[in-house]
Amino acid sequence: MLCWFQMPGSNPFQDPVRFQRRVRPCALVIFGANGDLTKRKLIPALYRLAYERRLPTGFAIVGTSRTPLTHDAYRDQMKEAVQRFSEDTPLDENIWRDFASGLFYEAGDLQDPACYAAIAARLDEIEATRQTGGNVLFYLSTQPSHYGPAIRGLAASGLHRGKGWRRIVVEKPFGVDLSSARALDAELHLAFAEEDVYRIDHYLGKETVQNILAFRFGNGLFEPLWNRRYIRNIQITAAESIGVEGRGRYYQEAGALRDMIQNHLLQIMATVAMEPPAVFEARSVRDERAKLLRSIRLFKPGEAATHAVAGQYGPAKSGGAKLLGFREDECVSPHANTDTYAAVPFFVDNWRRAGVPFYIRTGKRLAKRVTDVAIQYNDAPHSPFEAAGMEDAVLGARPNLLVLRVQPEEGISLRFLSKQPGSGMKLRPVSMDFKYGSSFGVRSPAAYETLLLDALGGDATLYTRQDMVEASWNAVTPILEDWGNRNFDFPNYDAGSWGPAESDAMLARRGDSWRTP
Amino acid sequence: MSAAPIDTGRILRDLDELWVNLGKDEHGGAGSDGVLRACSMTLVVCTEGHDAELGETLALLMRDHPSRLIVVNLSESAAALTASVTAECWMPFGRKQQICCERIAIEIPEHAIGDAPSVARGLIAPDLPVAVWCRSRRLLHHPEFRTVVRLANKLIVDSSDIEDLAGRIATLRAFRDADTRVADLAWTRLTRWREAIAAIFDDPDYLAHLDAMDRVVLEYQGPHRPMSTCYLPAWLAHCLGRRFETRWYRAGDSPRPRLFRVALHGTSLDVAIKVEADRSVQMHTGTRDSHCVFPALGEYDLMREELAIGGEDPVFEAVLNLAPEFA
Repeated sequence: MLCWFQMPGSNPFQDPVRFQRRVRPCALVIFGANGDLTKRKLIPALYRLAYERRLPTGFAIVGTSRTPLTHDAYRDQMKEAVQRFSEDTPLDENIWRDFASGLFYEAGDLQDPACYAAIAARLDEIEATRQTGGNVLFYLSTQPSHYGPAIRGLAASGLHRGKGWRRIVVEKPFGVDLSSARALDAELHLAFAEEDVYRIDHYLGKETVQNILAFRFGNGLFEPLWNRRYIRNIQITAAESIGVEGRGRYYQEAGALRDMIQNHLLQIMATVAMEPPAVFEARSVRDERAKLLRSIRLFKPGEAATHAVAGQYGPAKSGGAKLLGFREDECVSPHANTDTYAAVPFFVDNWRRAGVPFYIRTGKRLAKRVTDVAIQYNDAPHSPFEAAGMEDAVLGARPNLLVLRVQPEEGISLRFLSKQPGSGMKLRPVSMDFKYGSSFGVRSPAAYETLLLDALGGDATLYTRQDMVEASWNAVTPILEDWGNRNFDFPNYDAGSWGPAESDAMLARRGDSWRTP
Repeated sequence: MSAAPIDTGRILRDLDELWVNLGKDEHGGAGSDGVLRACSMTLVVCTEGHDAELGETLALLMRDHPSRLIVVNLSESAAALTASVTAECWMPFGRKQQICCERIAIEIPEHAIGDAPSVARGLIAPDLPVAVWCRSRRLLHHPEFRTVVRLANKLIVDSSDIEDLAGRIATLRAFRDADTRVADLAWTRLTRWREAIAAIFDDPDYLAHLDAMDRVVLEYQGPHRPMSTCYLPAWLAHCLGRRFETRWYRAGDSPRPRLFRVALHGTSLDVAIKVEADRSVQMHTGTRDSHCVFPALGEYDLMREELAIGGEDPVFEAVLNLAPEFA
């Protein structure tokens, strides 16, 4: 690599091997500046980036929401949020002081043009005093119903254009179905070009999800075995041990299929199943993800009723405590038909994956909190040990399981058979384990740190694109339509279990069974 | 004359026994999840004499880069080659499982240096990268040391205090070959300086005037020019693809040689970075001054950065080629 071969006008003093990626001077405007996401995720992530000196000199944040607050009052609130929600970053008073000097607040109603005028005036002042070059990232951290007014307000005020670049980050949900996703996209494009729209799916920012790409495409060993000849099924599990806890109102309308599978889990599936991109850059990676999502076989009419399983947790006792059922939550209707559990078998119609089921399940109040991807390999074509009863009968004869653990205990494990020590030939499954946290002593950045830095730096590789969003909605629409027309006999699983019995039966009909994560 | 031989097979058996015992001890404890044996490379540390700080540095390094650690100590007091094995363990916060790395300490008397390569060769963890960190000048120049380096994918030295800049650069270039990369902690120390210079030229207004740069002034403190005053202009020359006038000035005392100030001059360019002994940094760009702090970096921080680079470091390779011009 020779520095002087750089493009004209680019900084010749780069050293990607050693230097942290730097972000050009810019400002960030957060709509929904008082909301839960801002306090729990965005501001702690931004503070951590400041702590690591990853933000540019002069970086500024303008928070906006309805509540009247002074700049200082807002800074105090955000300081408290950092202290409360930063899991592994101490609050350093000097660094906070610098960070807070670039933190501003403008109260306003997103329907009111005066709100945008105030933001524009603040950005002008910031540009002059902090040399941000007119570069602005807008972040929609509001309720989805406010996306439209905010985008229209930005367009009407001219804030979507400026001296530098203007980008916008949109949080999920990207609509509640295909048509509303398209409507949101149309509104976004009234003000922003597609390359300036960053649809965030924080699962894609997780180190371990990115590591799936490194594992698959950085090693020569696994990819040749990553196809229908060797794989029996792939199970993707995203289980939560908690209930809806304060999100009952939203969750009642959304449900597990919309809240998790349509976005996070189909994105993980795409990451596991996509073809290798030619180069690791935004367009190539996103093209391959999109191609995979478009290859998902759509359920035919009537199939959803027998193939997909919906569940809802009921009340239970755990550790002496009484756990409320979903319908007992104060924000939830006692007759809610919402799926708090969903299990769906997807198939991919291409040569590499044809016939391999991707079993995806997610749910609340399950046995434990875990997200992982398990690749179950085919049995050996012939086992010389089976006839002689040498394999352990209890632990089963399907030894080869590759598990990519997304959270917690991030890592990868491979299960295979081994001879049990002693005379004779008795086989038992053993596990070869890689733990992400132990092998790399350095701290892994939180997903929002990665994704915010990417958006500020103009890298959309880990963001979803509209064609991916639409392909995901296409995949779940037949199920949503079927479930919308049915009256389920809920609740159908106990809190603390692994979901409804119908889910086990669904896999059993295919000759498979859910693994226990 | 040869010292008493060390049986590498015996050392490896001792290691196996160590792991068995560690496993037994930990599984016996209530609430324990046992030990996790972690090893991502072999790190051979060549040193001489007793250095209490080194032990602490290596213990910290193991957390970032779990390794089979082989510490070869050239000892005047040792009568014979001796070896011992221990485990370096730590419990990550909030976990019940200890993570352990293995450490093999080899004491070598002066007259037995020639036996070191064969011992080290037999102890290297199979199929994993090997890094050699040479902290001893005498070992670096010992003819047998070349055999040890041949085992390594990476040789790491520290030239910060070296007076004979040209001689050291020639030594490093001689060690470099297709299989072994060379790293110098004197170069690692420059990362913050280089990042600061690069950050200035992220601003298009400054970048536009970079072509006008025709003079570099380097000020240092201490008894002689530090290696950084050679590497930094070599880096600038590499990045710009051209030469410029370079001047060096001694700007005060310091127990150890250190880079103090770098200034880039041209008809329309005036940039300077000055780092005081307390690591406070003054950056002067045109009419603006700004301040920050470079973190104090010890051997642990520097080694951590170096061990994180497993492959090529093409910029340093190029700098090493140009460095003789500035020595």
